[in-house]
Amino acid sequence: MIEIEVTTDPRGIGVVVPRGRLNMVSAGRLREALGELATAGTHRIVVDLAETTFLDSSGLGALIAGLKSARQAGGDLRVARPTREVMTVFELTNLDKVLRPRADPETAFDD
Amino acid sequence: MTEAPASVTVTAAATPAALDLVQNQLADLWRSSPGVSARDRARFEMGLVEMVANVVEHAYRRDDSGAAGSGARELSVRITVTDDSLEAELGDNGMPVEIDLSDVTLPDPEAESGRGLALALASLDHLEHRRDGGRNVWVLRCVRGRDA
Repeated sequence: MIEIEVTTDPRGIGVVVPRGRLNMVSAGRLREALGELATAGTHRIVVDLAETTFLDSSGLGALIAGLKSARQAGGDLRVARPTREVMTVFELTNLDKVLRPRADPETAFDD
Repeated sequence: MTEAPASVTVTAAATPAALDLVQNQLADLWRSSPGVSARDRARFEMGLVEMVANVVEHAYRRDDSGAAGSGARELSVRITVTDDSLEAELGDNGMPVEIDLSDVTLPDPEAESGRGLALALASLDHLEHRRDGGRNVWVLRCVRGRDA
């Protein structure tokens, strides 16, 4: 129940768009997509959550794994455009500080 | 708005695929119960998904080498919507679970797992576990808000 689109923009920033539910079934696919970007040397990554309809603790785990590996390589992983429901999950787990949501993927790395 | 109680039951092998089945059934249930607020839908789904995932992940781990074949491991969920609440009874025939719900805390921000029960407790108004004739039974409840 998920489709994950991965592109790299002209600045070399990886843009990952999960469409559908990020749960225990699909979180592994996100981990793989983030891992493939890292292997290809892309360490600045935006995960655009505008079309992610549901996020659970497995999905959070995949995002944290991607965040750690990006930072270890000198980059970063940022999230953009979470829905109100997904934002609530970040807040309930206090991860809104670690994964501070950005207003849109294009400007997520401007600061 | 008053609606007749609506309910749905899902029985499936206790594998990750059961999660998509439950979430699909839940989506159907929301369509037939349009009075449930978006907030109540979201927190109930969060609590239910985390508990189903917990059953799939943990309840069967310790008997992996046991005599029971994987086909014998199943879970069932009955979800009921009433005027006042959203309730789920989640049962599995896995090993007895030992979880102290009063001792659930969030892990370190860098942890890649261990947030499921904390999320479930934060989402639900009521969560209880009992052992009933060789089955684990979880009862989950959200009291419906008045902002529907």
